[in-house]
Amino acid sequence: MSFSLDGVGLTHANGFTALSGIVLRADQGERIALIGPSGAGKTTLISVLGTALAPTAGSASILNSGPISTSTATGAMQGLRARIGTVHQAPPIPGRQRVVTAVLAGKLGQWPAWKSLISLIYPLDLPGAQAALAGVDLADKLFARCDQLSGGQLQRVGIARVLYQQAKLILADEPVSALDPALALATIRLLVGESEQRGATLVASLHAVDLALSCFPRIVGIKTGGIAFDLPANEVSENLLRELYASEGQELPMLGNEPRFIPPVADQSLPRALCC
Amino acid sequence: MLLNPAMHDPAARGRLSGVILTLIILWPLFQTAEVKPSTLFDPGNLKVIGNFLAGFLPPETGAEFLGYLGKATLETLAIATAGMALAGLIAVPLAYLASAAGRETRTLNPLTRSLLTLLRGIPELVWALLFVRVFGLGPAAGVLALGLTYSGMLAKVYAEILESVDPMPAQALRRSGASRPLAILYGLIPQASKELASYTVYRWECAIRASVVMGFVGAGGLGQLMDQAMKMLNGGEAATILLTFMALVFTADGISGWLRRALDKAPAPRASAFGPASISLLLGLTVSIVTSFIYLEIGLISLFTAEAARSIGEFIASFFPPDLSTEWLTKVGKGIWETLAISIVGTLLAAIAGLLMALPKWRAPWSFVLNTLRSVPELVWATITALAVGLGPFAGALALALHTAGVLGRLYAEALANAPAAPGHALRLAGSGNCLSFLYGTLPGAVPQLIAYTLYRWEMNIRMAAILGFVGAGGLGQLLYFELSLFHHAQASTVIIAMLLLSVAVDQSSAWLRRHQQ
Repeated sequence: MSFSLDGVGLTHANGFTALSGIVLRADQGERIALIGPSGAGKTTLISVLGTALAPTAGSASILNSGPISTSTATGAMQGLRARIGTVHQAPPIPGRQRVVTAVLAGKLGQWPAWKSLISLIYPLDLPGAQAALAGVDLADKLFARCDQLSGGQLQRVGIARVLYQQAKLILADEPVSALDPALALATIRLLVGESEQRGATLVASLHAVDLALSCFPRIVGIKTGGIAFDLPANEVSENLLRELYASEGQELPMLGNEPRFIPPVADQSLPRALCC
Repeated sequence: MLLNPAMHDPAARGRLSGVILTLIILWPLFQTAEVKPSTLFDPGNLKVIGNFLAGFLPPETGAEFLGYLGKATLETLAIATAGMALAGLIAVPLAYLASAAGRETRTLNPLTRSLLTLLRGIPELVWALLFVRVFGLGPAAGVLALGLTYSGMLAKVYAEILESVDPMPAQALRRSGASRPLAILYGLIPQASKELASYTVYRWECAIRASVVMGFVGAGGLGQLMDQAMKMLNGGEAATILLTFMALVFTADGISGWLRRALDKAPAPRASAFGPASISLLLGLTVSIVTSFIYLEIGLISLFTAEAARSIGEFIASFFPPDLSTEWLTKVGKGIWETLAISIVGTLLAAIAGLLMALPKWRAPWSFVLNTLRSVPELVWATITALAVGLGPFAGALALALHTAGVLGRLYAEALANAPAAPGHALRLAGSGNCLSFLYGTLPGAVPQLIAYTLYRWEMNIRMAAILGFVGAGGLGQLLYFELSLFHHAQASTVIIAMLLLSVAVDQSSAWLRRHQQ
C-alpha cells in the first residue's frame, strides 16, 4: 500500500472546505492522474499526500506511516517526507544557487547534517547529481547557476532533484502548466518512466485531459472537493469529462488549446492534441 | 559530458583562494585594530566597567538632575530642528544649481558639486569641533555644523532625485517657453515630491541622533550631559540619559514612519493641494523652527558682524598651509589605515552578530536587543567600550560593531523575511530539517540583499570610524582631536584633508561599484 485516504476532509482556518469525504487508495508503483476544473481541490489533495497539510477529518496514511496529524513527531515526519518527492508548479529553487547544489538538496532529508553542510562548500556527490541531471538532458549544466537557465530547464532541474531523492512516492502539482506542449509531453514521459523504472508511485495533477488519458493508467476526477470518478483511463468517457468540466465552458482543456499556449496569432495552427 | 568518477568542482579552487586571500587581508587589519578579546576579561577592566554598569541601577531620578535632563533634551531637539531648517535653506538653492534636471543640455555644475563634496565630506562632528573653537561652547556650533553637513547631503540627494525621474515633462515645458524653475516645479516636482519629502524626513531622524552626539565636543544638548556623566563614571546618570536617548530615537522613528505613511495618501479632491492637515503641519513646522532658534538664543545676525568675520578669517587662516612634511604624512597615513581597519573589523563583527540575531528562529526575543543596540549612537557606545577594553582602536571597532549589529540585524531580518519562501518550504516537504532548508533554500535568495546592506553600512562606518577617535577610540579622529587640543592647526588641517579625501574615495568607489553591479 502506497497511501490510503479514508474519508479525508480538509477545512481551512477561514472556514472554507477544500476537501471532504475523500476515499482513495493506491498500491506501490501505481500511476494516477488527478484531473478536474481549477479550484476543485487537486492541489489541496496533493498537499495532503505530501504531508504539507494535515487532514481535519478522516485519516491519511502515507507510505505505511499510520495516521498523520499535526502532532506527528518531527523526526518521524522528516523520515516520511524524505521518501516523498514533489515536483512543484514553479520550481522552488533559489536563482543564485548552482544547479549541482539544487539537485543535491534532494537528499537533505536523508544525509547526515555534516554531509549536507560540507556540500554547501564542496558538493560531495558530484556523480550522483550528474546522473540525475543526465536523466533530464541537462548533464552539461551541472555547474551552471540556476538563474542562467530557461524556465523549462529550471523545471527539469526540479525534476532532477526528485529523481536524485529516489522517492517512493512522487507527487507532481501541475508540473507542466508552464511548459510548451512538446516539452510538457516529454516531461510527463520522464516522470512516468522514472516511476516505471523504480516502482515509485506517481500522482500528478494535470490540467490537460489528453495528456492525462494518454500517459496514466488510472484517472481520478476531482470536483468541488470530492471524487467525481476513479476509473482506468480507457473507461473515462467523453460524457464523464464534459460533466467534470461543465463549469469551465464548452471545450475540454487539452494540451494544445489551453489559452496560455496561444500567443496572439502565430500558434493558432497548433495540433489540437498530442499523443503519448 | 561523460560521467567521470574522479570529477571535481571547477569552482572549488576559486573558493579556496578566495578564503585564503580574505584571511591574508584580514589578518593585518585585525592586528591594526588591536583586536584582543582577552582585554574584555582583563580583571582591571572588568572592575571598572563592572562598577560603572552596577551604578546603572537605579537610574538617577533626582529632581535637580531631571531638570538638567529635560533642558538638555529640549536643547537636543532644538539643535536638530534648527540645524535641519538651516540645512534645508542652504540645500534647496545648491541642489537647484548642482542638478542637471530641467536643463536643455545635461551640463553638470562642477563648482557647486565640489562645494557639496566639501560640505558633506567633512563629518558634522569635525565642523562642530571647529565651530566650538570660533563661537565658544554651546548649541550654536552644533546648529551650524548640522546645517552645513546636512545641506551638502540634502542638496546632493535632492539633485539626484530630480535627475532620476522622467525628464521629458520638463523638457516639453521648456520647449514651449517655460523657464527652468517653472519647468522643474510643473514637470519634475510632481514626480519626485514623495521621494524628496521621504528623504527629508529620514534626514531629520538622523539629525536627532547627530545632535545628541555633537554634545560630546561641547555643542550642548544630551551629548554634553552624557559626556560629563561618563567622565565622572556616574552610572546612574548615564543610565537615565541612555534611556532618554532611546525614548527620543524611538519617538523620532515612530513620527518619521507616520509621516512617510501619510505621504502615501491620495490627495483630496479640492482646488488647492494644501488642506487643513498640511497647513497645520506647515504651521507646526514653522513654529517649532522659530521656537528652536529663540530657545537656543542663537542670534544668527551676530555671526555676520565685522568682528565675527575677522575672528573667523583668522581662525581659517591658521589652518594654512597644512603640514605636509613626510613625517606627519606618514602619521596621517597610519591614521587612515587604522580608520579602515576599525571600520572593517567593526562591520564584520556586526555582520556576524546581526545575522545570528536575524535568524528566523531567534528573531522575536532579539528584536528588542536590536532596537536598543541601534538606538545608541556609535560615539556613545565608544565611550562605554573604552571603559571595557581601554582606549584605542579596539574600543572603536567594538562600538561600531554594537551599533551596526543593531542596524544590520534589523535589515537582515527584513531581507530574510522578504526572501522567497517556496524553496525552503519545498525542502522541508522533502524531509530536510529547518536549519538545512534555511541554508539551502532561504539564504541563497537573500544573499544579494545581505551583501548590499553590509557594503552600504561599511561605507557609513568608514566615515564614522574617522571620528570615533574624538572619545579616544583610535583612527584619524584621535589624531585630529589631539592636534586641535594643542592648537596645532597646520597638522589638524592635514588630518581634515585626509578625512575629506577618504570620504570622497568612499563615495567614488561605491558609486563605481553600484554602476558595475547593474
